[in-house]
Amino acid sequence: MKGLRAALLGTAFAVAATAAAQAQSGPTLRVGMAAQDVGRLDPHFAVSTIDRVVVAWMFSGLVRFKPGSIDPSEIEPDLAERWETSADGRTWTFHLRRGVQFHGGFGELTAEDVVFSLRKSGTAASSAFAADFRAFQTVEAVDSHTVRIVLRENVPSLLGILTNYSGGFIVSRRAVEQRGADFVRAPIGTGPFALDRVTPNQSAELVAHAQYFRGTPQLGRVSYRFIPSDASRDLAFQNRELDVNYGRADQTWINRTRQVPNTVVDVFEPGELAILNLNTRQPPFNDIRVRQALAHAVNRAELVRFRGQDVAREGQSVVPRGYLGFAQQPLLPPDTNRARQLLAEAGHPNGLTVRVIHTQLPEMLTMMQVIQQQLRRSGITLDLQVVEHATFHQQIRQDLSPLVYYSAARFPVADIYLTQFWHGRSRVQTPTAVTNFSHCDQADAQIDAARVSTNVEEQKRLWAEAQQILVQNVCGVPLIETLLVFARRDNVDYGYQLRGSMSLGPVITEQTRIR
Amino acid sequence: MVFFFVRRLLAAVPTLLAVLTLVFVIVRIVPGDPALVILGDQATPEAAAALRARLGLDRPLWEQYLSFLGNALTGDFGNSLVTGRPILAEVGAVLPHTIDLTVAAMLFGVIIGVPVGIWAALHRNRAIDVAARILSLFGLSFPVFVSGIFALLLFSLHWRLFPVIGSANLDDPADRLHKLVLPAVTLGLVMAAYITRVTRSAMLASLSEDYIRTARAKGVPWRRVVWVHGLRNASLPIVTVVGLYVGILLGNSVLTEIVFNRPGLGKIIVGALNQRDYTMLQGLMVIYCFLIVVVNAVTDLLYGVLDPRVQAT
Repeated sequence: MKGLRAALLGTAFAVAATAAAQAQSGPTLRVGMAAQDVGRLDPHFAVSTIDRVVVAWMFSGLVRFKPGSIDPSEIEPDLAERWETSADGRTWTFHLRRGVQFHGGFGELTAEDVVFSLRKSGTAASSAFAADFRAFQTVEAVDSHTVRIVLRENVPSLLGILTNYSGGFIVSRRAVEQRGADFVRAPIGTGPFALDRVTPNQSAELVAHAQYFRGTPQLGRVSYRFIPSDASRDLAFQNRELDVNYGRADQTWINRTRQVPNTVVDVFEPGELAILNLNTRQPPFNDIRVRQALAHAVNRAELVRFRGQDVAREGQSVVPRGYLGFAQQPLLPPDTNRARQLLAEAGHPNGLTVRVIHTQLPEMLTMMQVIQQQLRRSGITLDLQVVEHATFHQQIRQDLSPLVYYSAARFPVADIYLTQFWHGRSRVQTPTAVTNFSHCDQADAQIDAARVSTNVEEQKRLWAEAQQILVQNVCGVPLIETLLVFARRDNVDYGYQLRGSMSLGPVITEQTRIR
Repeated sequence: MVFFFVRRLLAAVPTLLAVLTLVFVIVRIVPGDPALVILGDQATPEAAAALRARLGLDRPLWEQYLSFLGNALTGDFGNSLVTGRPILAEVGAVLPHTIDLTVAAMLFGVIIGVPVGIWAALHRNRAIDVAARILSLFGLSFPVFVSGIFALLLFSLHWRLFPVIGSANLDDPADRLHKLVLPAVTLGLVMAAYITRVTRSAMLASLSEDYIRTARAKGVPWRRVVWVHGLRNASLPIVTVVGLYVGILLGNSVLTEIVFNRPGLGKIIVGALNQRDYTMLQGLMVIYCFLIVVVNAVTDLLYGVLDPRVQAT
C-alpha cells in the first residue's frame, strides 16, 4: 500500500514538474514600471499602483471583473463558480470551484482559505482595506467548498468587495500561517503567475502557474522591472528591452510614443477625478460666495487641453463619470467677471490670497500651477506651499490647507466616492476620517439611505440627489478626469481588449501572449 | 598597520553614534507618516493607529531608540517598514552594484584625470593646458542626468553597443562588466574632470619646489623627475580628493543609478526617505557610515605609504 502511494505521489509530482517546466519554457513578458521597488506583496496591503498591478497577476478573488473591463455589471465568476443570495440581500452563499491549486504546492483551495482571507481583509491589523468589510457580520465555511457571508446591513455592491481588487484577493491560509511576517515577500495565491523572486531596486520575477485553474498560461515568465526615470524607461522600450511600458498621462508623451514603430498606446479606465476640495468650515471658504467665485474662476476645457484630449476629460460631478450612480451636474461655468463680482460681494473687492499646501509630484504640481494662473485672472492668488509628497498627505489630513487638490479613482460605485470624500463621518481630523477635506455633511442622509437600499433605481436617485446637494453647496470644484496610459509592442496580445483595469495596469492572464 | 586600522575604526564609534542619533531624531521630526504610506490614502485613523502599534511606532521615542541601538549592536537592523524585507538582505543585494560602480568610476577618474592633469601642468598655459582646463570644466558642469541620457541615445539606441537597462546579473561577470561600462564612464567623467584640476594644481606646486630644481641640476632624467619626485609629492592632495570623492560616490551616485536603471545604495536611500521607511534609513546610515570610515582609514593608510612621516605621527 505504501509502495502504491509512493508511486502515485511520484507520478503526480512528475506530472506537475513536467507541466511546470512546460509553462516556464514559454516567452518572458518584460514590463517596465515607474517605481523604485515593490512594497508589501501581501495583496491586502497592496495600496500603491506599483503593488496593485503585480498582485493582480498572482491572486484571484471569488469573482472578477471581466478582463479589460471595470464595469460592475460585467463581474463574472472566478474562484466561486456560482452564488446565491437571500431575499433580503443579507446572506450570500458562494460555491467554490473544485481543484483550484495554490502556487508552490500549497494544495487545493478550500472554503477555509476563503473564510480566512476575508476575515484577514476585514481586520485592521492585517489589511489596509478593513473598512470595506464593516458590514460583514459573519463569514463561515458551510462545507469544504461552500462559504456563507452574512451582512449586518445591505451594501451597494457586495460582489464589488469580493472582486480581484483590494481586499477581495484570496490567500492561502497555510502559507500565511506558515510564513508569518515573511508572507509579504513570499506570497501564495491562485493566480496565473507565482512570485519567483524580488531583486530589490531591480525587478519582481514571476513564473507561470502551470496548474492555474483556467489553463496553463501561454507566457512562461513575467519580468516586472522597476525603472523610475521616465526617459530611461522610454529609451528601454524603444530599444526593445521592454514589451510593455508604463506611460505618462500626457498628450505629448502619447503622440511621441505612437510614432515608435510597432507600438500600441492603450488609454483606459478608471479615470482619476481631480477635485479642488474647499474647507467649508474655515475662512475664506466658509462663505459660499467665495466658493462660487472660485468655481467660476476655473476653466475645465483649458485644463483638458493642457493635459491632452486623449487622456483627459472634463469632470461633470463630484463623482467620476461611468461610476454606478454617477449623475451629471450643472457645474458653474467659467466666468471671470462673475467671480470678481462674487468676491466683492463677499468682502474681497481687491481679491484674496489663499495659502495652499501642495505636493511636489510633477504631474500634480504642473496642473496646480495652471489652476493658479486661472484663479489669478479672477483675483484669487494661490500661495503654493510645495512640500514633499508624504508631508503633503499628512498635512492635508491635519486640516492645514483650506484648499486641497486631490485626484483619485475608487471602486466604480458612487457610494465609495461619496462616502470617502463627502460624508460627514469621513471628515479629516475626526476618529473616522478618510478624505473628506471639505467637511461637508449636507448629503449624509442621501448617502446613508442609498447604501442600505435594496432597490437599484432608488439608490441611483439618492446618489443623484446627494451629488446635486454637494455641487449646489460647492463643497468642491470638479476639474478633470485623467485616464491611465500604457504602451506595448504590437506583438503583445493581452488576450482581451484593454478598456479598463481596476488594478491600474494591464491584467496579465493565462491568455496573454507574445505573437 | 592592523593596529592603525582598528584604532581608526574605534575612533569612528562616537561619530557613528552621533550620526545614528541624528538620523533617528530627524526622520521622526520630518512630517510624513509611514503608516499612511503603507496603508494608502483610504486609511482610517483607526487602521493607521493599529498599524503603528504593530510596527512599534507608538512606543516612546527613547524606547524605540534603545531598542534600535541594542539590535544594531547585535547586527540586527530589522525589516523595512514598507517592504517588510530584512534590511541587511536588501542592502546586501544592492551593495555589490554600488561597489562596482564606485570602484569602476574611481578607476576611470584616476586613470584619465591624473595623466591629463600632469600633462596640463607640464604644458602650463599652452594649448594642451587650456584644452584640459576647458574640458574639465565641461565635465564638471555637465550633470549626469544629461550626459547619461546622451550616452544612452548614442551607445544604446543608435549604435546598440550597450543595454539601456543596466541592472546586471551578479553571477555573470561578462554581463556585469558589460552593463557597468556606460554608467562608470559617465560617472567617472565627472571625477576625471575634478582629479584633472587637482592634479594639475598639485603638480604645478610640486614642480616649482627647490628639490625639483636640484634633481634636474643633478642630471636626473626629466621623466624620473616628473613621475618620482614631482608626482609622489603631489600625490597627497590627489589621494585626499579621491578618498573624499569615493565617499561621495558611495551614496550620491543616485542619479547615475536612476538614469542607467541600476540598483544601488543611493536609490534605496532616496526611496526610504520618500516613504518614511525609518528602519531602512537607520540601517542604511549605519552601513553607509561604516563604509565611509573604511574609505577614510584606507586613505589614511595610503598617506602613510606615500609619506612615512604621516604614519610616524
